[in-house]
Amino acid sequence: MRGEAADALSIETAGLVKRYGTVVALDHVDLAVPRAAVGLLGPNGAGKSTLLKILLGLSRPSGGSARVLGRDAVVDGRELRMRVGYMPETDTLPDNATAADFVTHMAEMSGVPRRAARQRAADVLYQVGLDEERYRLVKGFSTGMKQRVKLAQAIVHDPELVFLDEPTNGLDPLGREEMLELISRIHQQLGILVVLSSHILDDVERVCDYVVVLDGGQVVASQPLHVPDDDTADLHVRVDGDPGPFLKRLEELGLATRPAGIEYTSDEFVVARDGDRSLDAIRDAAAMTGSPLRLLRPAKRTLEELYVDSVGAGANGAPGRRRVSKR
Amino acid sequence: MSAAPGQYGEIFDRGYRHYDGPRLGQAQAIWALARYSVARALGMRRPWTAKIIPMLLYAAVSIPVLIAIGIRAFFPAFEFLSYPEFFGAIFLLVGIFVALIAPEMMSSDRHDGLLPLYFSRPIGRSPYVLAKLLATGLLTLSMSLLPAVVLWLGNGLLAPEPLPAMRAGLDDLGRIVVAGTMIAFYLGAIGLLISSFTGRKSVAVGVIILGFVLSESLSVAILQAFRDRPDLARWSMVVSPSRTIATLVGQLFGEPDLGADVPLNAVLGVMAAVIAICCAVMFAWYQRRD
Repeated sequence: MRGEAADALSIETAGLVKRYGTVVALDHVDLAVPRAAVGLLGPNGAGKSTLLKILLGLSRPSGGSARVLGRDAVVDGRELRMRVGYMPETDTLPDNATAADFVTHMAEMSGVPRRAARQRAADVLYQVGLDEERYRLVKGFSTGMKQRVKLAQAIVHDPELVFLDEPTNGLDPLGREEMLELISRIHQQLGILVVLSSHILDDVERVCDYVVVLDGGQVVASQPLHVPDDDTADLHVRVDGDPGPFLKRLEELGLATRPAGIEYTSDEFVVARDGDRSLDAIRDAAAMTGSPLRLLRPAKRTLEELYVDSVGAGANGAPGRRRVSKR
Repeated sequence: MSAAPGQYGEIFDRGYRHYDGPRLGQAQAIWALARYSVARALGMRRPWTAKIIPMLLYAAVSIPVLIAIGIRAFFPAFEFLSYPEFFGAIFLLVGIFVALIAPEMMSSDRHDGLLPLYFSRPIGRSPYVLAKLLATGLLTLSMSLLPAVVLWLGNGLLAPEPLPAMRAGLDDLGRIVVAGTMIAFYLGAIGLLISSFTGRKSVAVGVIILGFVLSESLSVAILQAFRDRPDLARWSMVVSPSRTIATLVGQLFGEPDLGADVPLNAVLGVMAAVIAICCAVMFAWYQRRD
């Protein structure tokens, strides 16, 4: 985003390895992530937090290299940390400090002069919806308010990229909704790149436009979330009236069909794509059976499908852990 | 009908603004962390309960000095509080003060989980420890050095001829600065080292106080064990902060009855070595990464 070509990469890793004794937390991770809102998905223990720590320079890799915003995470760690923000997963706020004091302090720790730090803290706390409460002690805050303070400290120094580790942890549905809206705004309106680490698919699906899936310390998927004009995807169809004759005709034309699933209307079906002839066959089947065609669109591969396929298969085809949370 | 501009005040756009001002270097970050740590240790911008003990300790150190100056003003011939007496009297208070502030410096950050936040900032690990040393040193100096300097100023200004008296007392001022500074960093480094290993303030406070008490007992035990070898027994002061400080004050101010019979340079070397070891261990400890 800011000051960089749109096609530049936000994160690059090559053969990244992290070992804790005999346990391999990251196993030759190769990534080339564009400058986007990136979701980092994976079951618990997949290596998400370890990857974040290495990208922030908090942890040294056992092997390989990692670059963030074009800078080496190990060699240029200090320079890099001036340009990124970090919202950790754990509770990391001093109870006996006001939100304004703490966020001001964290701005100063990033090199912002004192007077500007005070102003920035006030502005950012306003942006995250804590304008009125900023002079209250943090220990009196709800979980949602504490999460907002953590988010405020992560962006108070105006970073180019912010790492958010499980930002909706412990939030009730309303709080989670508000937090996701805030994160979307940070990326879309404030122009700050976001790396959102989560095990909640909906969070990533709502905020991100690129996803990296880790499983067992390996990258099992790294791709854009929404692929426009996918001409290889299966097709969703819906016809008015009894779909029986229409589906039978499609079967006769050699196309397999199945119900679209519980998240779609009961009269919606998926037609397996069979090259270019699929669209013609659907048109012909509808015309021959006199079934009014009400819907015809490429079936989107949902993030859940991507996740289950990727994590289930694992990078080496090993059975994966399916600790997936779909809220 | 629209109101005239400015009649009801102005509407400010509070949209997010990018920051394009200066970004200061590591020295600024170290100073910012030291300042913040000092403020928190003294209970500033915190509930009044957090301010009570530091204020009581400051009062306990200051009141004898003020009384001494007052007596000096009205009874010039009567010396109420000599410098060795002052340092002997405040050792315990400075020890308690360190036991109070050092855990606030180190243990609180661990307890509150602030270390990942700090280390994700440009400051880094060694400068973090440096900032905490600076904060602890400054605070402890305010207990060990500042009142002694005030006492020296009072003695000088209340003398019949202030300027010659102060000029004559410059040696004393030098001794005060050496004693105050060494005591501050010596006790501060020990307190910080102990506190850096735990996230629980109460544990750190307990271990620091217990450590001071036990070290005294250990020193006495060594002294007894080597009573037939006074040349060795005198070095038992090395394990006792109170005897080390007493020895420093005695040697500095020419009162060999205080502490052990150890040369000034040796006791300064012992204190400097303890400070260096504590710092080295802390720096190494905070360099640990996952």
